[in-house]
Amino acid sequence: MNNFQYIRTTSTKAAIDAVAKDPDARFIAGGTNLLDLMKRGIVSPEKLVDISRLPLNKIEREASGVRIGAMALNSEVAENAFIKEKFPLLAQALQAGASAQLRNMATVGGNILQRTRCHYFYDTSLPCNKREPGTGCGALEGNNHMHAIFGFSEKCIAVHPSDMCVALAALDATVLVSGPTGDRKIAFADFHRLPGDKPHVDTVLEKNELITAVTLPDSPFTKNVHYLKVRERASYAFALVSVAAGLQLENDTIQRACLAMGGVAHKPWRLASAEKALIGKKVTEATFRQAAEIAMQGAKSFEHNAYKLKLAPNAIVQALKTAAGIA
Amino acid sequence: MTDHQPDDNNSEGLDESRRDFLKHSSLLTAMALTPSTVLKAASSQWDERLAGAFEKISLSLEVNGTKHSLAIEPRVTLLDLLREQLALTGTKKGCDYGQCGACTVHVDGRRVLACMSLAVMQEGRKVTTIEGLAGGDTLHPMQEAFVKHDGLQCGYCTPGQIMSAVACIREGHANSAEEIQEYMSGNLCRCGAYPNIVAAIMEVKKEGKKL
Amino acid sequence: MEKAFIKKVQIGDAMDRVDARLKVSGAARYAAEYTLKSVVYGVLVTSTIAKGSIKEMDTRAAEKAPGVLAIINHKNAPKVPGHQAGTDNEGSRVYGQEFRLFYDNKIYHNDQPIALAIASTPEQAEHAASLIKVHYAQEKHQTNSKANTSNAITPARGKDYSRGTAYAFKNAPVNLELEYGTPIQVHNPMEPHATTAVWEGATKVTVYNKTQATKLSQQEIMKAFDLKEENVQAISPFVGGAFGSSSRVWPQEMAAIMGAKVTGKPVKVALKRDQVFNMVGYRPRSIQKIGIGATAEGILTGITHEAFTSTSQYEQFTERIVDPTKTLYNCPNLNTAYKLIPLDMSTPCWTRGPGETSGSFALESAMDELAYALNIDPLALRLKNYAPSDPEKNLPWSSNYLKECYQMGADRFGWNKRTPTPGSMRKDEWQVGMGMAAGIYKSERDAASAIATVLANGSVVVQSAVADVGPGSATIFTQIAADVLAMDVKQVTFEWGNSKLPKAPGQFGSHTTASVGSAIYEVCTLLKKKLQELAITMPNSELARAQQNDLVVEEGTVGLKNKQIQLSYADILKSHALPQVQVSTESKGGGPEQEKYSGKSFCANFVEVRVHSLTGEVRVNRVVSAVDCGRVVNKKTATSQVYGSITWGIGIALMEEAKLDHRYGRHLNNDLAEYHVPTCADVPPIEVLFVDKPDPVIDPMGAKGIGEIPLVGFSAAIANAVYHATGKRIRELPITPDKLL
Repeated sequence: MNNFQYIRTTSTKAAIDAVAKDPDARFIAGGTNLLDLMKRGIVSPEKLVDISRLPLNKIEREASGVRIGAMALNSEVAENAFIKEKFPLLAQALQAGASAQLRNMATVGGNILQRTRCHYFYDTSLPCNKREPGTGCGALEGNNHMHAIFGFSEKCIAVHPSDMCVALAALDATVLVSGPTGDRKIAFADFHRLPGDKPHVDTVLEKNELITAVTLPDSPFTKNVHYLKVRERASYAFALVSVAAGLQLENDTIQRACLAMGGVAHKPWRLASAEKALIGKKVTEATFRQAAEIAMQGAKSFEHNAYKLKLAPNAIVQALKTAAGIA
Repeated sequence: MTDHQPDDNNSEGLDESRRDFLKHSSLLTAMALTPSTVLKAASSQWDERLAGAFEKISLSLEVNGTKHSLAIEPRVTLLDLLREQLALTGTKKGCDYGQCGACTVHVDGRRVLACMSLAVMQEGRKVTTIEGLAGGDTLHPMQEAFVKHDGLQCGYCTPGQIMSAVACIREGHANSAEEIQEYMSGNLCRCGAYPNIVAAIMEVKKEGKKL
Repeated sequence: MEKAFIKKVQIGDAMDRVDARLKVSGAARYAAEYTLKSVVYGVLVTSTIAKGSIKEMDTRAAEKAPGVLAIINHKNAPKVPGHQAGTDNEGSRVYGQEFRLFYDNKIYHNDQPIALAIASTPEQAEHAASLIKVHYAQEKHQTNSKANTSNAITPARGKDYSRGTAYAFKNAPVNLELEYGTPIQVHNPMEPHATTAVWEGATKVTVYNKTQATKLSQQEIMKAFDLKEENVQAISPFVGGAFGSSSRVWPQEMAAIMGAKVTGKPVKVALKRDQVFNMVGYRPRSIQKIGIGATAEGILTGITHEAFTSTSQYEQFTERIVDPTKTLYNCPNLNTAYKLIPLDMSTPCWTRGPGETSGSFALESAMDELAYALNIDPLALRLKNYAPSDPEKNLPWSSNYLKECYQMGADRFGWNKRTPTPGSMRKDEWQVGMGMAAGIYKSERDAASAIATVLANGSVVVQSAVADVGPGSATIFTQIAADVLAMDVKQVTFEWGNSKLPKAPGQFGSHTTASVGSAIYEVCTLLKKKLQELAITMPNSELARAQQNDLVVEEGTVGLKNKQIQLSYADILKSHALPQVQVSTESKGGGPEQEKYSGKSFCANFVEVRVHSLTGEVRVNRVVSAVDCGRVVNKKTATSQVYGSITWGIGIALMEEAKLDHRYGRHLNNDLAEYHVPTCADVPPIEVLFVDKPDPVIDPMGAKGIGEIPLVGFSAAIANAVYHATGKRIRELPITPDKLL
């Protein structure tokens, strides 16, 4: 690691100014992703601006919904009584991520901004358009066991590794952002990008902008929810595929549904058509299977991830069944 | 060999360098906020010691009840600070990438990974390591339980397991064997002591002592 | 003298570990944790190509970086006499030319260490290492075993084996020909390999290193640097796991020694996690063909086992992959063949159950497949083919309680509740399956030495150079000594982990208890006799007229059986005015008596798994492991050894696989997030059953090996259970969800 400069800040404005002044400066909060990348030489900022003490860690009920400060720790959100009661899908997703220690360090803002775990991105001696634009995508014809089946480009087939973000996508979150020119709100669905021609750009966040909070509208999905994470060991592993599923039921009929997948695309993958297809239907495995088929339209696999074409719809069915209480 | 005997009471070298740090610390605090000076010092290769000193910034933190005022490079992780500068080698380096849990310590009572924590970010915080878990020569109930249930083999993951286990109970995540297994999964053990670790935690939890 | 409370310890007791307190309090120091004055830090730079040579290495920026003391590479490294001497296969443990660090500009594998950056702090060294720029002349490499079977060679030290008629399985009424595979698995001990080296002058070096064998480490360093035995010391009391990966001298040791030579300071070199994947050994990939044939009644008539494993281009690493096949069953016609596939990789290294683990996956899977083909219960098939004596050596077993293992295991597990049809057991979304497998592993005894000293206060110190990388050897040796000397275990101190101590073999191959334990048993028996003699000859001894045969040692005393006279060890020494009494012994290894027998440990593992019908995830519900390891010296540590093997078996069966991109010849998942080892949540309740009957031949304690036997066959037990659950036979490990969908 190069010996960067370190600045501790106590106000959002000072933090943004500090980063804005220096093209090689980066914010650091939990550090669980950035430090990892720095140790491996994937990024080498000259200056780190410590935002971990900014007063942005509150979890506040709002007139409609909740506002979660960007510095709130993953564990704090997962254990928060109000979140557990009103947004259990989010609590479940957070609980499924990383380890207890990492959840005690990682912040909500940092989790949203975490970078892919693609092997080619991580090894600086291998080609990766995300890490070094123009070098090619090593995974495209390499080992793409973990890679995308939706929304990829020939430049990049990496997936977003977060669990929390899958739930945020399903729950219609909004990301609140502050920058040198003021504040803005970004719908969660628009926050992460698809790789297209610029896979090195993960999100629409500008370099000098800081995530200050995430808001969630009131959610009808308080009871029949399930976050399913399919992985190659029982815990502490990234998802092969994950599904955030929420149902609002009246008797056996689905009134509303929310559905998103992780581990399948460059961003948390909202399954809007499948959600629509569920509305008004009876809770049966056949209903869920049908929705899963709709969700899978347009999916395409590579040499080593064809299993995801079976696993993803199965996972959707399983998550919905568990959410509905018929598993 | 006498020159190189391991020195458990902090080698003189350590103390000396710490005195050096202290000498510079007030200057360093001021310098820390003027990046150009520091960068210039580094790039124009001033006297190495001087350049090295400029790159350091002050840090006050409490480790196992002892207050430390240090001057360190910002890139030093909490793990390397503990192991290499404070001679607290009980906190282990298993992967250095936040993937094994061997470096688990408590910071302000919360279990975190020292390898993924920059030391400078711990300003004013209270750090507890395995060496500070119990008072004096006694063992903490969790340490006792690990001995009794053979919750260790090679011993390398053990300090991290124990720090994590104590937190697991404090957090309220030790209500069943399954819950313990899930909440202890951030601490890898390659020897396979897991069943014994779970048994140790269950027993301490059952005893209901305040940890 | 006040008589201390004596807690009598016996061989067999479940005593707490003697080093547990040090380990739970963080006081145990591992190789990179010695606080040596003016120690500096070395970081290895590794190659990013698999084959070729270094055209140019630009070290200028690194040399100028703050805190840097030296950059060492092939151009400026101190000459290593042993490296200059060239290939020496006389007595070497691996055939070929060992890897020579910084010897020349050749690249033999990816991640090959090519430079060492030494600086005052770890951060400076790390940074300096990152500034070194290398230009290569790249050559076409091969890292794919499967694509290179046609280039396989017959190992210089391997012999094909045959008894009866080769390929007889083909003519059997029921026969199968099957192919199995296991991937590269990496030891990944929790402590990455590390060494701190200190020179004193030009002729004396001390290394605090991670080794399973302090004497081997010492000897290899002596040979490499042409040093005298008394001038090389390897210190390794605590080792953070090794599993075979610290049974040779590796680049981090050589680098630390060279670095310390160049800088004149103690140098600490610790590998980064990614560096342990292709520098310090791994379990090689295996490709195996099994032909198996039996009569309709299930009597084996022929087995053929042909195996390939990978090795490097510079050494021929062979393992015991076909050994279980030769001896586990009573099959009259059997032939094995073993070939190596040289690849542009580092040399593999012994890995827990080296060979047996991969080989038994094939054999014990094939037995299960045969059971289904014959429509015979898999356990019944194994019982029918039980080998009453060693069919390979034609020798009686030193002891064999495999049938007892089958019985105990099946009873406890409830094997009779298993419905044989695949897919017939189910719970909710989960398909449930039960599988079993048998295991066999050599149980031998090697030569070892020990010293025992009784001190003036009556306490005893026992010494051996042996390492204790986690099995608990230090504990059971303390126990054996206390048992033989009939004294409070707290009065016995065992010292280990230093090459200066009496010679011991490496702690691997499941022979430490038998080898070093025997030496300790013998030396303590000698000390006991000596104390009895001294008790008789002490001035005005109350025992003056007693014969040695009349005397007993009890509670740290020599006395009469009727306890009317008891002289404490301390008093015996005092009356002779002796500050201490010391005896030493050199215990022989096998010997002619043992050569009349075949020594093996045995096990039977029973496993229940569940497989999610929609996601393909496999979880292990429960395990019963029944083990014949002779007499159990310490129930607590022995049980932990079985837990260890089972945990390894779960990893090997379900998740462990080092993945390479063969286009680049590089590892892809070389960290602990992506190379999955089992977590706490992956390991279910494990019931360990010991037959616990002494082996009358191998050693005086009656113990056989325990560290590896439960792993042999275990991955097959899981694969067999997965088949029983799903009807899907997975012949290529690991059994990940993608293979079951």
